[in-house]
Amino acid sequence: MSGKGSLLTLLLALVLGTFAACGLLSPQASFARTHPEGLSAGRPLCSECHSNETMKGGFKTFASFDHTPSFVGNHRSQAIQDSASCATCHAPAFCTDCHGGKVAMSPSVKLGDRPDRISPHRGSYLSLHRLEARMDPTGCYKCHGRANNDKCAACHRRPQ
Amino acid sequence: MKTRFRLLPLFALAAGAASGQEVSVYGSTLAQLWKSETPGFDKATYAPATQFLGIDALNLGTERLSLHLFGWGMADLADQSRYNGANGSKTQGDLSFGYLQYRFPTANAELKAGRFSVNQAVGIEQVDGLSARADLRGGFTVSAFAGQPVLYKNPLQTGHEKNDYAFQRNWIAGARIGLRVPKVGEFGLSYLQDGQNAAKDLPRPSETDYTRRQVGLDLRISPVAAFDLSGRTVFDVAKHPETPAGETKPSNIAEHDYQVSVRPTDLFALTGTVTERNYRAFYAGTNLHSLFNQHEKGKFSAYGAGLVFGTAAKLQVTADFRHTKREIYGEANRFGVDAKWAVAGTKIVAGAGIHQVSAPDAAASPDPESLRYGTSHSEARLWAMWETGKLSFSGDGIYYKFKDSTNPNLYGKDAMFELVVSAGYQATPEFKVAGDLAYGANAFAKSETRGLLRLEYRFGGPAAKGGKK
Repeated sequence: MSGKGSLLTLLLALVLGTFAACGLLSPQASFARTHPEGLSAGRPLCSECHSNETMKGGFKTFASFDHTPSFVGNHRSQAIQDSASCATCHAPAFCTDCHGGKVAMSPSVKLGDRPDRISPHRGSYLSLHRLEARMDPTGCYKCHGRANNDKCAACHRRPQ
Repeated sequence: MKTRFRLLPLFALAAGAASGQEVSVYGSTLAQLWKSETPGFDKATYAPATQFLGIDALNLGTERLSLHLFGWGMADLADQSRYNGANGSKTQGDLSFGYLQYRFPTANAELKAGRFSVNQAVGIEQVDGLSARADLRGGFTVSAFAGQPVLYKNPLQTGHEKNDYAFQRNWIAGARIGLRVPKVGEFGLSYLQDGQNAAKDLPRPSETDYTRRQVGLDLRISPVAAFDLSGRTVFDVAKHPETPAGETKPSNIAEHDYQVSVRPTDLFALTGTVTERNYRAFYAGTNLHSLFNQHEKGKFSAYGAGLVFGTAAKLQVTADFRHTKREIYGEANRFGVDAKWAVAGTKIVAGAGIHQVSAPDAAASPDPESLRYGTSHSEARLWAMWETGKLSFSGDGIYYKFKDSTNPNLYGKDAMFELVVSAGYQATPEFKVAGDLAYGANAFAKSETRGLLRLEYRFGGPAAKGGKK
């Protein structure tokens, strides 16, 4: 890390320390490390047990975390804002099934026995990506734009 | 990864060994045999063996301190390798994360040190460094990280390009401040800086810029359980060369991406999405400029809608539609239906889906004289899972039918398919063995057969009621 990076790191620690010292931290208890009750298999619907309750802090309803098809397909916002609540049920390794900086194999191969999960690249995606990327190349960028693209580079050598 | 960060987890594990820590070790071993037959080429056989391994150590001296490690290694046991890209190696691996975490009893405050992934700012980043987050009084939240970005070099970077990449991306930092408003939702403002050395400052100046400076706005508005609006806008705030006279200045808005969901009852929900991405700003910092072309004219935009029946029921039916527009290639529509059925009183879950992609003839390149071909196709999928006692079974079939087999990307094929069947045996709660068999045909291969043996195990760890998935 450069000198500037180290300086910024120190600054971060000082800022957090300052918050604590000034009593700016919320007095609310942190989320539990793991969900206190057993969860059944499949995608949970938090509202089945929590109804319309709001989460600690009183800012969002449990129902807004129901794992409906639209939630599962668009979970980026929730991950950006509420990663602590995700971590109550999901271990960090769960995310790396798909979101790895460098992955060993496509999620659909790794999770071949879990057809219920949304696994990108089912069905010979090596063939299909040439069509889908023509319509939406930005969809590839999210996972392969800055990482996990050494295999892409094997063919994509010329500026298009 | 810097030595100091690499040693941190090891010191922690050693220290923890002397105390009452709870350690869980989990992993999976995947051995594959992959045979592919492509007309005009010799039959190919690949035999990659992959080991995934994770360690979670809790209560390292204090119940608030924990260590988390996860990584993988792969070796191809056959003469050929499908995975080595262009670097010629038959082995590879990665430490996905390895960090110490300290969780405070209040405010969801935490500190992380080591290698970790962050998604608290405008991007998903893998960093060797430090991160912190906390909820503050008044509904505010703060988070920040800083360190060295994990660099993913690709075979296109050779010689001085490799050094340029490392020179420019010498550090990364980001921060986000959010405001949570009761019964309204959350609003966030974030900043990300990736690298501080400009390409022009290299001993041998380069036009390739790997750095990024981005500002993001994110929101989530959910005043009632039945309504949820979320999304973000990302701005590229880096300096760029002056736009040549007579040319339109590219937008500095990298992305608008928003979703809305309305769920008046558990019977059905309506969803909508809208997206716009401008290439120069959105692709900023890519390490694969040959593919993610920042100089492409125009932009990408999309909108979509969905209707879900039975959001909380055993039978869910989803109808979806998405319209996309890439200015130099044209517009496309994708629409279809998916169904998922959990059979009451059993451990059987099944699903089916059918989709249609309607796209006009697309040019092979932006050159107006280039070959044009159709990309319209249909897609059908059928899958099922069944658990009985210690045994589990699954099947998954997907089929594509193309309208224009003259598309050069299809090599004369007008259909592709893949069928995967799997059987597993949960010998003990900690150990499972499963096997997958896949068969298919696609544009590249007349036939492709893949066998996979999967061993999954988990030892130790806290007896959490909810556990972790």
